[in-house]
Amino acid sequence: MNSASTHDLLSVKGLHKKYGAVTALRDVSFTVRRGEVTALLGDNGAGKSTTIKAIAGVAPADSGSIRLEGQEVHIRRPADATSLGIQTVYQDLALCDNLGICANLFLGRERVSGPFGLLRDVDMEEEARRVLKTLRVNLPALDTPVAALSGGQRQAVAIARAVLWGKKIVIMDEPTAALGVAQTAEVLRLVRDLAEHGFGVILITHNMQNVFEVADSVVVLRLGQTVMEERKSNLTPEAVVGCITGSRTTIGGMA
Amino acid sequence: MNAVNQMTTTQNESKLKGWIEKLFNSTDLGMMPVIAALIAIWIIFEILNPHFLTPRNLSNLSAQIVVTGTLALAETLVILLGMIDLSIGWSSVVAASVFSVGTVFFNLPVWPCVFLGIGASVVIGFLQGILISRVGVPSFVVSLGGAMIAEGLVLAMLTQHGGSVPLSDNLSTAVGTLNVPPLWSWVISLTLFAVFAVFSLRRHADRRRRGAGEAHTIVFAKLASMLVVLVIGVGLLCAYQGMPVLLVIFLAALFASAFLTKSTRFGRYLYAVGGNAEAARRAGINVRFVQLAAFTLAGALVGLGGLLDAARLGVASATVGDSDIMLNAVAAAVIGGTSLFGGRGSVYGAFFGALVIASVGNGMDLIGAPSSVRFGVEGVILLAAITIDTLLRQRRLRSGRA
Repeated sequence: MNSASTHDLLSVKGLHKKYGAVTALRDVSFTVRRGEVTALLGDNGAGKSTTIKAIAGVAPADSGSIRLEGQEVHIRRPADATSLGIQTVYQDLALCDNLGICANLFLGRERVSGPFGLLRDVDMEEEARRVLKTLRVNLPALDTPVAALSGGQRQAVAIARAVLWGKKIVIMDEPTAALGVAQTAEVLRLVRDLAEHGFGVILITHNMQNVFEVADSVVVLRLGQTVMEERKSNLTPEAVVGCITGSRTTIGGMA
Repeated sequence: MNAVNQMTTTQNESKLKGWIEKLFNSTDLGMMPVIAALIAIWIIFEILNPHFLTPRNLSNLSAQIVVTGTLALAETLVILLGMIDLSIGWSSVVAASVFSVGTVFFNLPVWPCVFLGIGASVVIGFLQGILISRVGVPSFVVSLGGAMIAEGLVLAMLTQHGGSVPLSDNLSTAVGTLNVPPLWSWVISLTLFAVFAVFSLRRHADRRRRGAGEAHTIVFAKLASMLVVLVIGVGLLCAYQGMPVLLVIFLAALFASAFLTKSTRFGRYLYAVGGNAEAARRAGINVRFVQLAAFTLAGALVGLGGLLDAARLGVASATVGDSDIMLNAVAAAVIGGTSLFGGRGSVYGAFFGALVIASVGNGMDLIGAPSSVRFGVEGVILLAAITIDTLLRQRRLRSGRA
């Protein structure tokens, strides 16, 4: 465990969160390593979204600690997460379909000059092309409205935006839920690429096949608690499903 | 031989078919429908009355679009957010009333009265914007109440003076009646075009240097076609008496609005909030500020429109608020392709929409048609525009792109 700690990018310990009388998180702990994809699994209501919201600053946890590169960090607002280099790709993508690809990539962080806030389109396009190139994403002209893109291309835009603004951690909430076979493969390749570029990727999904295709480690939540944290190589799909549903309680070393 | 012929025919057919399919499957037609409608309307009226496309009548027409057009610019800013402002008619009359009472009865100098008049409309827009953005009251209801309050203000100012105040200051007379002499019309319009051309060519060169951008031919073709339209337009107006001052002021407001909405960060936020307010909020955009600013800016344009109307008529009159001034502006914005669902459209659409409304009114007057027919035709055009908008939106929803 100690030998791996130099790779530890984000480590979450004992997250606890109550919504009124309902306890959403009891004790969530896991570690995300640099250059790896960590799959966050669990049945509906297990606390996946609440965990993500705590890390992204949308709804901070009541107690527990989040350490980034060994330093304790306090994430109270979405802006805190952004400035720490943590970006989230939401399930609904949060894109403005009436705006172009480039406009969406820079939404809220436009490059401007002069007293009128004149948009520096050419600069933004140049940077957008650079990012899309490193991601090996093929998109139509950068002023094409997002409305004209396919589901996979829209997902690619949302991921590219996270890469453009995230420096360390990219969280993805069900990125393949609404996609066809070919588009799913393309997005999974992107996920893998992100890890290879040194990001720590947290992937939420229900698709076991996706997990075994791209994840390096698997974290399972049940009723607001971490019930498993394990390297993928030590697991079988059946074991993971069993852990999610609760028909098995212990796997490997974790309880 | 036959086979070859057949093949080329099928190819041509499939190309045409593909183009038509693309058109019918498109989810955003922009200003294409309004420009097509405008050309059709002009052809029909020119056939019915050959006086329609004369320099003299087009000069009249160019002054007739000014008030509807300026108010439609204001309405477009608000509609881009997916909201509506029903107070623009009466709010514009408030501006005119403040101006007339100030200049005629208080003998104030004319320029402070211009700012007081426009300022009154700005305050109305700002207060409505506060209720809409901070409290979250639907804009439809807020502006309906705002319209009633504005009507009350107008009656409070004008009833004691018989409901209308004739203007006598030099500024409104000049703005309402004068034309920019032909020579100056040419100098001003060609200089502005030259500045625009230099900027867009420099931008194009910058983009090409960094390995992107359109082909040279497209950029040159765009500039050349703009120059042709400009020369024909200014030429026709100069063949009569030059460009009406009213038109020059409206065009300045149009280009300022176009710059704001297309080239600045604020304009980008306007479209973003109208397209997907939640996505804009998560991207860190201050959605409430954008809404408040849009209503306030719309107020400034509304005030300008009110002063221009008073200058054109030579009188500030309460009856203007009862006329279809507000409905025409909303219709012009919608006919111009600005979607009532928000996020789609442009201020240039407001210009073309105002041109459609004014052309129908002007043409109907020329052929001596009664108002009943005129309202019917305008209504049909408006319904056609909103039907196209709704169909396109349904298509976007079907393909999961709304």
